[in-house]
Amino acid sequence: MAETTDNEVIVPPTSAPDDVLRVEHIQKSFGPVTALRDVSLHLRKGEVLGLLGDNGAGKSTLIKIVCGFQKQDSGTMWLRGSDYTPKSVEDARRHGIDVVYQDLALIDELSVYQNMFLCRERRLSPLPLLNTRLMKSEARKALDDIGINLPRLDVPVVRLSGGQRQSIAVARGVYSEADILLLDEPLAAMGAKEGGMILELIGRLKADGKISMIMILHNYAHVLETCDRVNMIVDGVIELDKPTADTSVEELNEIVVEEYRRARAAAQAAGNGQVEA
Amino acid sequence: MPSITDSEAKSTAPAGGQAPKREAPRKAAVAPWRVLRRALIAREGSIVVVTIILIAYFSLRLSAFPTVANFQVLLPYFAPTGILAAGEVFLMINGEIDLSIAGTYLLAPFLYYELAHGGVPLVPSIIISLLACAAVGLANGFIVSVIGINSFITTLGMLFALEGITLIISHSEELQTPGTTATGSPSTFASIMGAGTYAELIWAVVIVFVLQVILTRTRWGMHTIAVGSNKTGAAEAGVRVRAILTRNFVVCAVAAGLVGILEGVRTTSITPDPSAATSILLYAIAAAVIGGTLLVGGAGTVVGALIGALFLGVIQDGLVIEGVSANDEFLYAGVAILIAMILNTYVGRVRTRSGLG
Repeated sequence: MAETTDNEVIVPPTSAPDDVLRVEHIQKSFGPVTALRDVSLHLRKGEVLGLLGDNGAGKSTLIKIVCGFQKQDSGTMWLRGSDYTPKSVEDARRHGIDVVYQDLALIDELSVYQNMFLCRERRLSPLPLLNTRLMKSEARKALDDIGINLPRLDVPVVRLSGGQRQSIAVARGVYSEADILLLDEPLAAMGAKEGGMILELIGRLKADGKISMIMILHNYAHVLETCDRVNMIVDGVIELDKPTADTSVEELNEIVVEEYRRARAAAQAAGNGQVEA
Repeated sequence: MPSITDSEAKSTAPAGGQAPKREAPRKAAVAPWRVLRRALIAREGSIVVVTIILIAYFSLRLSAFPTVANFQVLLPYFAPTGILAAGEVFLMINGEIDLSIAGTYLLAPFLYYELAHGGVPLVPSIIISLLACAAVGLANGFIVSVIGINSFITTLGMLFALEGITLIISHSEELQTPGTTATGSPSTFASIMGAGTYAELIWAVVIVFVLQVILTRTRWGMHTIAVGSNKTGAAEAGVRVRAILTRNFVVCAVAAGLVGILEGVRTTSITPDPSAATSILLYAIAAAVIGGTLLVGGAGTVVGALIGALFLGVIQDGLVIEGVSANDEFLYAGVAILIAMILNTYVGRVRTRSGLG
């Protein structure tokens, strides 16, 4: 990972009075690989923030830090005005933050409704037994609400299509009673029809204004349509922070193209100058 | 495979949100076949069918087989194995294995002996011995889940160590089990702790029932399956992977210790014989796998493990009545296990095609 180059713009921490989440100067490395160099962002109440960036830019790492799955090396987070250091995914969930992972985190051998309630199981209290009936009916309600029609909720999810699995993962996040939702490529495995359903759902949630979202998307058209604001991560730092109204597919593309240009120039320089180890 | 259809479901969404009726599309079939097919579709169904066929075979051939007296002879062949297998199932669903249960099985009765001879009353002696087994499970769990050593190697090392400890504290001597008498009828204590004719069977049935409920009806069971099926995904979803693994190692070790004590009380003597312990370990693993638990993790059944143990017990007992020599017995048992597994796999494919779990 190179040092900060001259033409690089790092967006300094910004904030708004109605922020629910603030992330400041987050750094994270995995051994010799620096995933996040210095990332700061903020999320306003009811806002949908699009998080963009090339493969390996650090988007997923940032999501995993906010949701409590990984710990940052340095930097701080603030949730509704107070210090936020999640000890675990469960802890983050207790703080009202839930996540839809890029890898979906579904359990093949568990059924649809079991996956939807994994780690949020409903029980027949005071007994430690699972309330299967309640979980099934709540899962059915959630899926109906999105418009996903699965005839059976007791089949293992390994038998479902990629799009169906993705829908279940999204439904699990959306109906988790979280007020901050992190979505890592929620449309990745979906066709237009299923993807449209999810975008429609996100639109409805946005209109409600109760849930704030950070969403990683690759399709810029979807970003401009769905998000209020975009942040772009390049090389482990935020390079762009703009309301979607003030940007365009062309501008976003240009940033990526520029990044590739820089990378190629750097590779050429390295090739001419010294031999790589 | 049904695909997502546009929001037609929304309009018909019932207030209670009930699941649609369970009717898989099915060709018109004759009723008995339907019953058989349903039985085969359950995870433990295939071994139930195979075991029934085996029992029918021996019953038709041997008039001495289908008798109460023979059932009582058969019990010690399968009840202890069933309890060991029941604990092992939890770890195998995790995708792990515990070989050290042969060690805890061997050591627990000697701990019990030492405590009882040291003046501790019988029941507390048993409880303390089982707590020691739980500590072994904790150690296994720590080494596997925190330090990250493969469970096969960890528990193999633990197995040797426990066998060594047993040989040292027993001075390699056979001892009389405290609370039992070699002659006369057993005390109430001894009857409950294994000496009663059906004591071990009752222990096995109760333990299997409880563990099966835990596996299929509690968060613990769900998380056990989750860890075995997709460890990373489970962790991402918030499952406490290390705690689940460690807890299952503890269950496995305590079950094994209990079986060791039950067997000691039943036979009124305890022998520090590692090879006998290793043999029952292998039967337990075989019982779990035959019963429908996957070695790679993600799926399993405790009830199936008990039936698997019954299957192995019936083979051994049947072959003895048939008059097969002890040497040939292993060969037959081995071939029978292979055939049972092949049938299981075939039935497993039927299950996969049926679209059920």
